[in-house]
Amino acid sequence: MSPSFLFSQFMGGLTTAMFLFLIASGLSLVFGVMRVINFAHGSFYMFGAYLAWQAVQWLHPTGGGFWLAALLAALAVGLLGALTERLFFRSLYGREELYQLLFTYALVLILGDAAKFLWGTDQLSISTPPALAGSVQVLGTTQPLYTLFIIAIGPAIAFGLWLLLNRTGAGRMVRAAQMDREMLDALGANVGTIYTGMFALSAFLAGLSGALVTPIQSIVPGMDVLIIVQAFIVVVIGGMGSLWGTFWGSVIYGQVLSFGILIFPGFSLFSVFALMAVILIVRPWGLFGRPL
Amino acid sequence: MFHRYGLALASALLSSWPLAANAANTIKIGFPIPLSGPVAVYGQPVLKGAELAVSQINAKGGLLGRKLELLVRDSKANADEAVRVSRELIIKDGVDFLVGTVTSAEAPAVSTVAKENKIVFIAPVAETTRLTDPQNVHPYVFRTNSNTDVEGLASAIMMARWKDVKSVATIGPDYAYGRDLIAAFVANLKKLRPDIQIVDQQWPKLGEPDFTSFITAQMSKKPDAVECAVFAGDFVTFSKEAAPLGYFKLLHNRMVDSGGVGTIEEVRALGNDYPYGIVANTEDPVIWNSGNEPPAHAKYIAALRQFTHEQYPPSWAVQGYLTISALADGIRKAGSTNSDAVSKALIGMTFDTPIGKRTFNVKSHETFQPEFYGTMVREAAYPFAVMKNPELLPQSFTPTN
Repeated sequence: MSPSFLFSQFMGGLTTAMFLFLIASGLSLVFGVMRVINFAHGSFYMFGAYLAWQAVQWLHPTGGGFWLAALLAALAVGLLGALTERLFFRSLYGREELYQLLFTYALVLILGDAAKFLWGTDQLSISTPPALAGSVQVLGTTQPLYTLFIIAIGPAIAFGLWLLLNRTGAGRMVRAAQMDREMLDALGANVGTIYTGMFALSAFLAGLSGALVTPIQSIVPGMDVLIIVQAFIVVVIGGMGSLWGTFWGSVIYGQVLSFGILIFPGFSLFSVFALMAVILIVRPWGLFGRPL
Repeated sequence: MFHRYGLALASALLSSWPLAANAANTIKIGFPIPLSGPVAVYGQPVLKGAELAVSQINAKGGLLGRKLELLVRDSKANADEAVRVSRELIIKDGVDFLVGTVTSAEAPAVSTVAKENKIVFIAPVAETTRLTDPQNVHPYVFRTNSNTDVEGLASAIMMARWKDVKSVATIGPDYAYGRDLIAAFVANLKKLRPDIQIVDQQWPKLGEPDFTSFITAQMSKKPDAVECAVFAGDFVTFSKEAAPLGYFKLLHNRMVDSGGVGTIEEVRALGNDYPYGIVANTEDPVIWNSGNEPPAHAKYIAALRQFTHEQYPPSWAVQGYLTISALADGIRKAGSTNSDAVSKALIGMTFDTPIGKRTFNVKSHETFQPEFYGTMVREAAYPFAVMKNPELLPQSFTPTN
């Protein structure tokens, strides 16, 4: 195996990883702060993709306008998340996890049907924005500019979230709410607004990742359920609720998948699930999580 | 849109009372079909084609003096759900026949329901050979689509035509359909071109969101050409990820995809991102530029266009259309809606379709339907890829058992 081939497998794994991180970061965030396992996170991701497609049709039916469309789609999904939190999740905090699971699962079905009603069942697709449509030669391999962009945006989002949580006043409140909700409430802070904000941010990230994958992936009914399983694997590997855990969980998932298919070409998923099983046995709380 | 639904609803309400006696007298066809999830991409157009056939037959007075009625249920592309709705259709709604299912998981499951209840079931899309192999065939199961053996042969024929190709790689989804198709392709290619080496085989899972690692691993083996069984939304993702990596350039576009990516549904989704120059297949190319379009096809497309209000109606509709036509011919020939009589009529029966005559094989109750293959090219008149000189392949097929 030549070094350039190993490098291209590494970059392939990194692309998978950063895609997964984009979506899993919001999932992990909401769990970390609110202890809610949001199955509908994949549905927000799907809405991001469909809304981006819709916005491109409205803005530039002939193509173009992708970046604005992606931003609008992400903002709309963020708003949808905030509304969902205000209207529904609010009454579920503190209840048994089973209720939350059931509710978020119901949301998956409702949003799935809504998407089908609005956009039909055809597979849809958006072209890569012209500026990033090409590719460059790196160490004797061909690297598409758009995947390099995705690889760059993953760490940027991770760092941004870390700054937000650890270096701002709002972040301090969020961490306080995470540690002791009642105490923060008693001290007069508006925990409700913090939760709505966090949920909106999580939905925004899901919407953004949905919009950003459209140039290299298809938009189809069911993409919500397909992605949520992988996002959960990543979050479980890294440790539920840990931002950097999710980041490194994604990186490990991507690399194990990418190099796993070289060792077991017939069983692409085997290595990933084997890895998850081993981690669950050795460290049930994940690589970066804390024992509950 | 709401206007149309409103009208339909109103007319349904108005007509249901006075015609209740008549409605009981319709010939009921249960239609379990995936209408949600990724497979709805197939389910919806197949349903459209079936509805067109039913409306045409009813406009001419129906069959045996009775109207046809489709009872549609969402099978969710899930075997358990398909079985559940099929049982319900038989027991609660008293359907006379079953037509439907898409996936190779649903069809064999519904086939057992048909066998238990002695009701004719015709599968319009599923391609697994298990549906009608000697262990599983029974008097009530039929299939109008191709199967993976037929497609494997056809794609090997296309691949064998590239005389300078010496090494071939394969990539297909990791489940029954992909595995069976690639196996049939390899077996046929070995016979047609013993000089070709299979240098790499990749098995991404169905619904894989990121093919990058599979693509780069395959490129490292530097194959001259690739046989691909990736289809539908997965193919959109696959080709958009493969193109900027230089995958198609490395192959000089020498790829045969037998997953049906020559459909209108697929070319419309990909637009100008389609990997022009590859060989693809479809049950119905819809757009026919080479001048040898069968008149029946032109007539069918005109009717479908009017029915769906789409300038380029979907390719998969033809499977719904020709399956209902076949069942109707069987009912006419039997002169009865009794499934035993209709089954006897269907076995060995030849029927007309918009794309030529088909015959249900006496042993395996399937038509070994050939499909259209051709190079996908850019033409100024269309905003998407079109198939150049669609060619029906294979010209003949002999089942091995």
